[in-house]
Amino acid sequence: MKKLTAMILSLMMLLALASPALADDMINIGIIQFAEHGSLDNCREGFIEGLAEEGFIEGQNVTFNLQNAQTDMAIASQIASVLVPKSDMICAIATPAAQAAFNYAQDEEVPVIYTAITDPVGAALANADGTNPGQITGTSDLLAVEAQLKMIRALMPDAKKIGILYVTSETNNTLPLNMYNELAPVYGFEIVAKGISAGADIPLALDSLLPQVDCLSNLTDNTVVSYLAMVLEMAGEAGKPVFGSEIEQVKLGCVAAEGLEYLELGRQTGRMAAKVLKGEAKASEIPFELITNSYLYVNKTAMAQFGIELPADLADRANDVTPQ
Amino acid sequence: MILGILEQGLIYGILALGLLITYRILDFPDLTVDSSFPLGAAVSAVLTLKGMPPALTLFCGMVAGALAGLVTGFIHVKCKVRDLLSGIITMTALYSVNLRIAGKANVPIFGTETLFRNSFTKALPDWIADYSTLILILLITLIAKLLLDLFLKTKAGYLLRAAGDNASVVTTLAKDQGSVKIIGLMIANALVALAGAVMCQQQRFFDISMGTGTMVIGLASVIIGTNLFKNMTFMKSTTMALIGSILYKACVSLAISMGLEATDMKLITAVLFLLILVAGQAKRKKVRIHA
Repeated sequence: MKKLTAMILSLMMLLALASPALADDMINIGIIQFAEHGSLDNCREGFIEGLAEEGFIEGQNVTFNLQNAQTDMAIASQIASVLVPKSDMICAIATPAAQAAFNYAQDEEVPVIYTAITDPVGAALANADGTNPGQITGTSDLLAVEAQLKMIRALMPDAKKIGILYVTSETNNTLPLNMYNELAPVYGFEIVAKGISAGADIPLALDSLLPQVDCLSNLTDNTVVSYLAMVLEMAGEAGKPVFGSEIEQVKLGCVAAEGLEYLELGRQTGRMAAKVLKGEAKASEIPFELITNSYLYVNKTAMAQFGIELPADLADRANDVTPQ
Repeated sequence: MILGILEQGLIYGILALGLLITYRILDFPDLTVDSSFPLGAAVSAVLTLKGMPPALTLFCGMVAGALAGLVTGFIHVKCKVRDLLSGIITMTALYSVNLRIAGKANVPIFGTETLFRNSFTKALPDWIADYSTLILILLITLIAKLLLDLFLKTKAGYLLRAAGDNASVVTTLAKDQGSVKIIGLMIANALVALAGAVMCQQQRFFDISMGTGTMVIGLASVIIGTNLFKNMTFMKSTTMALIGSILYKACVSLAISMGLEATDMKLITAVLFLLILVAGQAKRKKVRIHA
């Protein structure tokens, strides 16, 4: 029996050693994605497209090794420990993935390019002055909060209170929530924020939140977005419209959103990565970038449900994404 | 990659030592661990940022973990709540406590000196610098293991084992069975919190969700280890738990390296576990034939 154990163990070692046998002239890029959902998948697709635009094409001169941590922190860390030593560059999607990657990559000088990080400074992936703490840079998906408030004011001229539902365990909520609180009075709003600890708390939280507010506005909160169908149904019954934070939410039934294009965010990230690969600049020298222009997405069916009309000045830049 | 497996395996090995006490020795399904693991990490991260020497933060994390164990034990023994439920209650409460301690859901400590990255480790020559993290982790894990081994040999240690095996023995010896359980839970959760604190120092950030699934990892490690080496009587159960933890991480690492679809990773990990457990069973059968 000892033999069998020994055999299994040596087989494991052999497999482990044999697997990364890749051609030398290929650039190996390890992609660590923290969770599997629409926006992050779009980031990844965009990243690969962005690199391709610059001549780094999968199968020709680049090999991608994609790993998804399925929102498991321990796995994210272990993925980073496996991928970093055998990669020429790491693309990290979402905050925990980037932190895990940077932890392992810092010593080995493997450049890390991140994307979909709401607050790189808060996550210690960038310094407060905008410089980078090492061979790491990328793009931030900070919400266009001001544009969103402006849009809600235009669509709901009489609204006073905006409800925001968020999960306390997600750091990417902190910064946009602060921005909402700071900017809301400028547009005559008051924010009523309700923190919950898990998706299962959403029905109870909405029961208490909905009567207090005129509408809801979503952050990029992964949990709330996952429970969107339920949020929409309960808000609909209460006659309160829900504003989304990106296109996918509007498609699902949110009235409108000033959202980011994650595919474009990914492409922008891919172009930054290409700069590093070409040797034009080191990752440490490129400051992290924000996407500044947001897109207005509207859902005509949802608008009709709540009797909301699109003002003429917004109509020409609105993208109608009502499902057919 | 081997380095990564050993580092991670040994850190989670400390966790497995803790679960060895609750699950194997006390026969207590303690769910507190899903929150005491991040508790140790939160304490360590916050104190490190406040300028406390990282090694000392590990100790503080352990104390916090022991307190968590005390609460679970108190709820179970004094309030007479079922074991599973008392763990769930503490775990739920600790979620808020962890957030309060950390101040936010994710606390990075990239900018400060940590246990594994400080002016001392940076001054080390290259050939040893690569292994300094592993050596330190190995040292911490071995100290934890040896202390636990020693403790289990003391009178208190025997009582602890008796409390799980045959509770009436404890009562016959005129000892309070409840307090023995509480002490066991305190030691176990102190170890779990220590694992969390070391993990936080190694990955250089605390995240509120880092505890999710901790219980499963620890249990799997203990079961893999104790099943695989069941017949090696010379081997201490603490050693088995540590090896089990390294094997667990090796399985995950292998599943990652196989380069399969990301979606299938957990499935591959599960199949690898099964292989190990079946191998362990085959061993026992063979022994029986020989006998």
